[in-house]
Amino acid sequence: MRTGIRCCITSCQTGCLLFAMAFLAMTSLAVSAQELVRPDGLAPKISELQAASRVFRAAVERIRPALVTIESFGGVGTRPGEIGGIRQQGEGNTTGVMLTEDGWIITSTFNFVQRPTAITVITSDGERRLARFHGQDNTRKICLLKIQPDPDRAFAVPELADRADVAAGQWAVVCGVGFGDTTPAISAGIISATGRVGGRAIQTDAKISPACYGGPLVNLQGQLSGICVPMNPQSWSVSAGVEWYDSGIGFAVPVAGNEQLIERLKAGEIVNPAFAGVVIGGTGPKGGVLVGEVVEDGPASKLKISAGTVIVSFDGQPVNSASDFRALLGNFYAGDKVPIGFVLPGADQETSGTIELGTLPEMAKTQQMPGL
Amino acid sequence: MCCARLVLLACVWGICCAAPASAQQVTPDEELPALIDRLQGRLVKIFGAGAGNVQAYSSGVLVSDDGTIVTAQGVYLDGARTVVVLADGTVHTATVMRRDRVLQLAVLKIEAETPHWFDLEADAVARQGDWVIAMSNAFRVADKQEPVSAWLGIVSLPTSIDARLNSRDVAYSGALVLVDSITSNPGAAGGALVSLDGKLVGVIGKIIESSETNTRLNYAVPTDLVRDFVAGKTELAAEDASGNAGTQLPGETGIRLFELGGKSGPAYIDSVVAGSAAEAAGFLPDDLIISVNGEKTGNLRTCATELARLVAGQEAVIVVKRGRELVRLPVTPRATGKRREAGGDQ
Repeated sequence: MRTGIRCCITSCQTGCLLFAMAFLAMTSLAVSAQELVRPDGLAPKISELQAASRVFRAAVERIRPALVTIESFGGVGTRPGEIGGIRQQGEGNTTGVMLTEDGWIITSTFNFVQRPTAITVITSDGERRLARFHGQDNTRKICLLKIQPDPDRAFAVPELADRADVAAGQWAVVCGVGFGDTTPAISAGIISATGRVGGRAIQTDAKISPACYGGPLVNLQGQLSGICVPMNPQSWSVSAGVEWYDSGIGFAVPVAGNEQLIERLKAGEIVNPAFAGVVIGGTGPKGGVLVGEVVEDGPASKLKISAGTVIVSFDGQPVNSASDFRALLGNFYAGDKVPIGFVLPGADQETSGTIELGTLPEMAKTQQMPGL
Repeated sequence: MCCARLVLLACVWGICCAAPASAQQVTPDEELPALIDRLQGRLVKIFGAGAGNVQAYSSGVLVSDDGTIVTAQGVYLDGARTVVVLADGTVHTATVMRRDRVLQLAVLKIEAETPHWFDLEADAVARQGDWVIAMSNAFRVADKQEPVSAWLGIVSLPTSIDARLNSRDVAYSGALVLVDSITSNPGAAGGALVSLDGKLVGVIGKIIESSETNTRLNYAVPTDLVRDFVAGKTELAAEDASGNAGTQLPGETGIRLFELGGKSGPAYIDSVVAGSAAEAAGFLPDDLIISVNGEKTGNLRTCATELARLVAGQEAVIVVKRGRELVRLPVTPRATGKRREAGGDQ
């Protein structure tokens, strides 16, 4: 079944790019208006659409017991312009999803941009409970909260969609409680793409915004396909991607397949994007990329990599452009140790080494929430 | 800030050849283009006075066969002449009949027969997840006799605006229909939100931001409110919204909040007045106030507002965070002797 055409123009910083991306992300029904009208049979039937609505409602009903409302108290506030697209974080509650029967909750780091002093969670039974903030993955914009287990019952948890089954073109429904009602607001669309942002996210044209960040993206069975987050492949900043809210470019991070990561976050780990400490200055004379600058005491400098060094491989893969290098680096996290091949200035032979990736200097400054 | 988002689903060309509104029945086998085609005749384009960067145009819906139009209230109606362009391209001068500051709607009248119109008595059922067609002249894309644009989306949430907006957002209170079509664009206000059975679900509202999310809301004012407004029944509702707080005495708990953290800081109790209601109820310094009578108190400002609303002699329930516990403390505020000003608790 198809719903027709959605095409989005956002005239923020990214107008043309967005337009092109949104166009590609559509259902590829690039037909003219006349074709949509006539002849018969090319447009959705009213009855087909009505059937889809019933399925959307059923999917939301299945995930609802696992939805939680997150309340934040106090915070440092944000400076104007710090959050792209909106003035600052709103005053409202945010959304999370119960992950385990004993009270682990997954949500988006965006919901704590203001670094609240206290966090409470209202579970689907209406009970308010104190929550503790645990680990966070700053590359996926997800984090974990923990509430005390209920001795009388297990918390309702969602069924996880098999990651391999998620494909562009499938229906997607997102929901969140951010508009302030106890009933979540929903939006429907399709999966636009999978494997976005270094394989971390699913892209959808359902309307994703601060109203649903931390909330679920579900398939028509009501299975959890991902957690809605703001994302922009060009930046790791916690609020990057908010500028695309409600634009038809939205992202969700799968839970299925990230079990190891979730365990690290339960242990309180902060997963940060990888930082190699080099500025790529161009391509090398015989392949590879030329290092233009090296950050003092950074990961690369510890391997004696200097300006003029040519990096030829990373993680065993050949590197032939700055974008190659960025993409390969994007597969790793701060703290990972990765094989790297390079040719020092004036040397004939390639040197092989292992680089221990570091943390972006701006992220090292803003670590975990205070007082939680 | 340029944040225009335009979602064009389909712009259907052609002259509407539908029968009057009330005679329409949609069959399940009907396809969307036929429905949109039939609806075009009930939409109008409106042009008026511009003011600064406020747009001088909007959309409107016909609600009678003699030229009654509902649109969005705005300064564009304040010019010397307001012009309405019907779907057939004919141009008419409109008279502003009524405006409503609360609903942000206006009724216009043109001297023309208008055979295609929305029946405000036909209650549309708009459940969450139902597909709805939004039709408007957003961004003034349609010129002269060109039909307005149509968008397909679903009902995100039929809800009450008090649940989402605080008083600074908009002078509007009552129910609304949130949609996942992007209707929050210049010129879309006054357009139609239509169910798949061709009934008017609501009139697209003006651009507003939710204070909960600081994002734009895509919404329509539901048809039953529009119907009351057209019938002249909304003044009463506006009075009800102001409440009768003037007859009640404000209550004093004896809670003193820690103010050095600023208005957006957490609502910690700095001290509890000796002999006060709060002391009797068991409040302690360093308790963090989480909610007052069920209203979340996310920061000092909202907490002070909620405490100021309390009424002498009426028990309030305040939840505080004390260490790693949530503690529920009923407290009955005492009279301060000062009379509350009517509406002063906003």
